Amino acid sequence: MLKKTSRYPLHAVLGGAVLALAAAGILSSPSAAARTLSVTETGSTLLYPLFNLWVPAYTRSHPGVRINTQGTGSGTGISEAISGVAQIGASDAYMSNMQVKQNPAILNIPLAISAQTVNYNIPGLNRIHLKLSGPVLAGIYDGHIRYWNGPAITRLNPGVRLPHHLITPIHRTDGSGDTFIFSQYLSFSTPYWNSHVGYGTTISWPAVPGGLGALGNPGMVQAAAQTPYSIAYIGVSFTKEVDRAHLGTALLKNRAGRFLLPSQKTVGAAAAQLVNKTPVDERISLVFAPGAESYPIINYEYAIVNSDQRSAAMATALRQFLSWAVDTRGGNARSFLRQVRFIALPARISALSRKQIAKIH
Amino acid sequence: MGPRPFFESLMKIRPFRIALVVVTSLIPLALLAILIFLARYSWPALTFNGWHFLAGHTWSLGNLYADPIKQRGVLAPIGADYGILVFIVGTLLTSAFALAIAIPISLGVAVFLAEGLRSRLRTPLSFVVELLAAVPSVVYGLWGYAVLTPLVAHTIGPGLRATLGFLPFFSGPIGSGYGLLAASIVLALMVVPIIAATVRDALAQVPSETKEAAYALGATHFEVVRRAMLPTVRGNIIGACILGLGRALGETMAVLMVSGGALNYFPGNIYSPVTTMASFIVSQLDSAMQDPTGMAVRSLAEIALILFIISVITNIIARLLTGTSRNASPV
Repeated sequence: MLKKTSRYPLHAVLGGAVLALAAAGILSSPSAAARTLSVTETGSTLLYPLFNLWVPAYTRSHPGVRINTQGTGSGTGISEAISGVAQIGASDAYMSNMQVKQNPAILNIPLAISAQTVNYNIPGLNRIHLKLSGPVLAGIYDGHIRYWNGPAITRLNPGVRLPHHLITPIHRTDGSGDTFIFSQYLSFSTPYWNSHVGYGTTISWPAVPGGLGALGNPGMVQAAAQTPYSIAYIGVSFTKEVDRAHLGTALLKNRAGRFLLPSQKTVGAAAAQLVNKTPVDERISLVFAPGAESYPIINYEYAIVNSDQRSAAMATALRQFLSWAVDTRGGNARSFLRQVRFIALPARISALSRKQIAKIH
Repeated sequence: MGPRPFFESLMKIRPFRIALVVVTSLIPLALLAILIFLARYSWPALTFNGWHFLAGHTWSLGNLYADPIKQRGVLAPIGADYGILVFIVGTLLTSAFALAIAIPISLGVAVFLAEGLRSRLRTPLSFVVELLAAVPSVVYGLWGYAVLTPLVAHTIGPGLRATLGFLPFFSGPIGSGYGLLAASIVLALMVVPIIAATVRDALAQVPSETKEAAYALGATHFEVVRRAMLPTVRGNIIGACILGLGRALGETMAVLMVSGGALNYFPGNIYSPVTTMASFIVSQLDSAMQDPTGMAVRSLAEIALILFIISVITNIIARLLTGTSRNASPV
């Protein structure tokens, strides 16, 4: 049998370990950590590149804060912000009424405005902008329109020689804010789609033989590039990749009946239409906005934040960072947003966001 | 018999005995704990879905932005419909095709490593094969996504259709390269090192008396391998295939990256997109977490439960197969 000859008896070792852990805890606890405060951001892969531009610039002028960023998906962003694993959950989609009812302390704070393009790979036709509408896209994605030269597409594009070839619709396999706003465009413009499929970050895609699922926006670009006669919806921050893959970009029909490409002007016009309708909790869809110049698929990119933070230091750090992010002299400066093709929040919306940010305590 | 008395005297010491019992029972207990957790966690989904879960081929999270309503006694989103037959079929098909590709290749590799090589090369080459088994699956996935899918679309697919196109499952449109064939090839690549390494080890253990007896009867080298060595390790081969099957059934990331994520329809041919149960859980979890009633996540847990049961059943079948083959084997 072992005698207690060991120089470090078990309880002493354990006690030491507990002390060490406690010391580490104190060091990382916000009250004592006046030097560096660690903020975790996780969620939307569409916002992720923007956070990666913001964080180095912000932390250079605010050395007391360290911000860790992760692109995990909007659903994860929302749920980790609720559970407290992350302080900032990035999401392309706002929370549902039921989620808000269950978690009244969680804020949905718009940080910027994003848009989405519909892209296709039709050999020989990728240099021209085809005209497409919500009902035609709904027909393609539910299998009613099978061929590129189907009457519904030909009618929108007189004079274009469309090929008699099966269309491969590509959708996102993973949960995605892009699926959310794309299916909203279909739902809001096509009653049939709205009642049979609806919208969400993943939806029950109707069975279209050969229809393809792809992983993330990079996967969408790759699948479309290597699948002739395919069509895909892709977040606007991937426009560079879309151009490099030589995909075609569609003119989309807006509520007023005009066909438009996304640009500073058309995305801004759509946002302007809904500025006054945006409620104080800022949960609103910007998809299929009225107005002649409004591009139909745009959305607020949200920071999902718990207004009830555990420590005052963390609350202050979050308020400072988020206020900087929505400021046109800070994170909403064109130098940042231009790189991911987002546009800045209209003044009234950034004021609303600031009002929500002030609630963090 | 040298170590035996020492071991027996050790077993007489009570604490050691108890410790052994505890450690040994940990594994079945962990298995049981997982099963109980999955069953308990997915219980609301089990009652909500019923048998429709296994028979249905539509998966819909329902309208997560409308207020959920009480259906069949529980709160669930409007339009929620969880049927996983498509994913069960996808899982079984990808695994079956993967094994069909992997088994002949791995047996060839194992025999070559055990018998066809000079002993100087045997160790480094065996090491390489074992190393392949240690490559993280996402690496295979990335390779499959970047290299294999275009290859399937432009070379392997058309070639297969030209040669085996008379079979109904091998004809028809080839599509984009993402799908059942690409997923099966990636899985096969991941499974080959597992089967090959296990079988090679078994072949190396075949007693030299067995081999020499066969040589004495005038058998050629090939006949020794085929008639004397392979039958001896039959049980090991089946066991190795089951290990491989287990890996194929549960593989997640690599399959997700090349399978094309089919939803709500069955594959029409071997080039069609598919979805497997494991990869579906991963791809849906993010959206499922937005279901305020929790029914979506619990239904994903139910998929995990079914996958668990399928793995256990295939394992039991394999055990039975190995048992009978050992009894029937002349050696």
